[in-house]
Amino acid sequence: MNKVLLMGQANVGKSVLFNHLAGAGATVSNYPGTTVDFDKGHMMLQGKKVDVIDVPGTFSLQPKDRAEEVAVKMLEKEKGATVVCVIDSSKVERGLYLALELIEKGHSVIIDLNMADVAENANIKVDTERLEDILGVPVVTTVAIRGEGLKELVSRMGEAMPAGIESITKRVGGKGGTSTHS
Amino acid sequence: MMNHKSTFGSMFTVIIGIAALGFGILEFVGGEWGPLTVDAGMFTAWRAVILICAGLIYLSSVTNFLDVRQLGKTVVASIMIWIVAAMDIWAMIAASIPSGAEEAGEPWFASGTEFLAAYGPPYMPAMYLLLPSLVILYFVGRRRLAR
Amino acid sequence: MEQALTVDQRWDLVDKITKETVEVGAYEPTLRDAIAGVTVRPLTGIPFAIAVLYGFWTFFGEFAGLFTDGFFVRIFGTHWIPWLAERLAGLPDWAFVILVGDRAVFAEEFLGDSCFAAGGVLTTGLFMPFGIVLWAVLALFLVLAILEDTGYLPRLAVLLDTVMHKIGLHGFAIVPTLISLGCNVPGVTACRPLETRKQRFMMIALLGVFVPCGAQIGMMEELVPGLIGWVFLTLAVGYLGFGWVLNKILPGESPEILMDVPPYQAPQWSNILRKTWMRTQHFLLVAVPFVLLGCAIVMALYTTGAMDAIAGGLEGFLATVFGVPASATPSLVVGFLRKDLAIGLLPIETMTNYQVFKSVILLTIYFPCLATFAMLLRELNWKEILGTLGFLVAMIFVFGGILNLIGMAGGW
Ligand SMILES: Nc1nc2c(ncn2[C@@H]2O[C@H](COP(=O)(O)OP(=O)(O)OP(=O)(O)O)[C@@H](O)[C@H]2O)c(=O)[nH]1
Ligand SMILES: [Mg+2]
Repeated sequence: MNKVLLMGQANVGKSVLFNHLAGAGATVSNYPGTTVDFDKGHMMLQGKKVDVIDVPGTFSLQPKDRAEEVAVKMLEKEKGATVVCVIDSSKVERGLYLALELIEKGHSVIIDLNMADVAENANIKVDTERLEDILGVPVVTTVAIRGEGLKELVSRMGEAMPAGIESITKRVGGKGGTSTHS
Repeated sequence: MMNHKSTFGSMFTVIIGIAALGFGILEFVGGEWGPLTVDAGMFTAWRAVILICAGLIYLSSVTNFLDVRQLGKTVVASIMIWIVAAMDIWAMIAASIPSGAEEAGEPWFASGTEFLAAYGPPYMPAMYLLLPSLVILYFVGRRRLAR
Repeated sequence: MEQALTVDQRWDLVDKITKETVEVGAYEPTLRDAIAGVTVRPLTGIPFAIAVLYGFWTFFGEFAGLFTDGFFVRIFGTHWIPWLAERLAGLPDWAFVILVGDRAVFAEEFLGDSCFAAGGVLTTGLFMPFGIVLWAVLALFLVLAILEDTGYLPRLAVLLDTVMHKIGLHGFAIVPTLISLGCNVPGVTACRPLETRKQRFMMIALLGVFVPCGAQIGMMEELVPGLIGWVFLTLAVGYLGFGWVLNKILPGESPEILMDVPPYQAPQWSNILRKTWMRTQHFLLVAVPFVLLGCAIVMALYTTGAMDAIAGGLEGFLATVFGVPASATPSLVVGFLRKDLAIGLLPIETMTNYQVFKSVILLTIYFPCLATFAMLLRELNWKEILGTLGFLVAMIFVFGGILNLIGMAGGW
């Protein structure tokens, strides 16, 4: 692994994460559409220097505007990169859509449920272990603005891997049944 | 159904609401009354509109004061007053620092007495609303503790 | 690779996964949600927006005034400029004029303000960016950062959505507009999240033409504080009016976009200070060299007599079309480089109030500064760039002409 790409919807905290990981100064604001171009930085991973890339938020992999185009192009260019799919824990549903798309395209994905504090305040609980079982990729929880969970995120980046969409379909509810204990 | 009534809260909104409304109208009039002054600068009409609206918003949240939607309105009205008062204070601070002298050799900064004098009365209307409006923080704090 | 899912299948799968993994507890509206509601409902939201705007503007005005009038006018006018003039008095005339300025300003009997009157690279050229504009943009960037980080910007967008839809834009357009009030360069890039080419083009054209940048606003606040309200009002009318016209004549769609409104958040001061500092740094890097260059060009044109020749050539044109005296020529010459400098060069004492007002509007509409133009080249294709320039030229004549006619009618 030599590259880490931060993907996710707008305003989920990618740039905060990027600033922590790469010690950089990307602009962070509380509205969707802050980052409109990519930013590159470096981080140390298992004693190796790797590139970290922050891109504009994108709703899906079908770009709807110029900012999203930048993100999707970067993903296509960096095919071998480890993709950190950042999700707003209080809006998991939306984030998962993009996560599934990334998985379908065969990227090595690790899921970061960010803004755990917001979800907690809104009384939303996410069963990360179950989610990890279903998706077959690592799932970690973070509160990026406070730096919480970043260690785990970094230490588990190496576990990121491609997963099969068909096996996900099998493992979730329906065919596998809700009683799966994998 | 929770009881959202609070006599103290309702009294608070009535009083501060009427006061804000009155001060807002004074801003339109302009003038000086003892320790109260309305310096009719470029923005006096703005301040008038803001204070009057804040007053009306307060008065619209008298009933069911503790209901979260009502409380939201009083907080917003209070923030409006804080903005105006904060800018009055900021203007005082900005005026208190430089000496205003132009010639070489004169001091750059205001002397101690000049500095302090800049903070003396008379004050603008919003400054008189500032302290009472802080009461809202008590209710916000109480709500937070209850959760 | 496996077979891809259709959109519906994917949402279906998402649904199933969330059902199994996400547990949504009882929703109890928080005070934060209530405040959010109050600030977007027009009846309460508009007064609140007025309060925010008032806070924005007074903070900015007092901040800039504290530094500029409180200290920097004296630092430059009483100390630096006279000292430098004495030091460099021995230079050959041409060098003195370019570096320090007009020798007449340093004669015993001169009574005016040397900060502006001198005009040289090391005098006025330094005074404008460091004595005036720096403090103005610092204050603007600070307030903008606070608005960005609390989450108020998207709420302003929701509040203005109805109005903006009338001109074919989305409420989101307020985001690039406000950012442009700090600096047009990031304002132009902030248009990227707009969905269609038409919207993006419209927005960029409107920004480039009608939205003054922080540096310009700072100069206006210092030089013509009494006119600023009228200038903003006029520009807003142009922005909305011609936005409406552009929307009607341009082909293409302006679809609705749903903007996410994130929850309010207590701002992190470290982030606000960092952003303010980064943007200020960018301003210093981009602006100062061009202001210095602009001063050098103007003074060189003066000493060689070329300025008089240009002014003479433009005199009739400026007077008939815009009703502006030829003494505004230097402003127009450097308007290409920096608009703050252009406003600083307006011969305000020799013009009527209405002429100053017209000139300030014209300079705002006038060609975008070089840095912004470079950004246009990056963000637009050549057709759109030509379109923007055409729009700009049209606006100069339409706006300048109308203002001139109004002035004639009013006898100003
Ligand atoms: N409460 C909370 N806020 C967060 C967290 N992470 C980020 N934020 C805030 O969320 C907002 C958006 O953060 P950004 O990093 O700019 O988001 P982004 O994903 O880069 O957004 P775009 O650039 O618009 O795509 C900022 O106001 C952050 O302070 C978190 O873990 N908890
Ligand atoms: Mg970002």
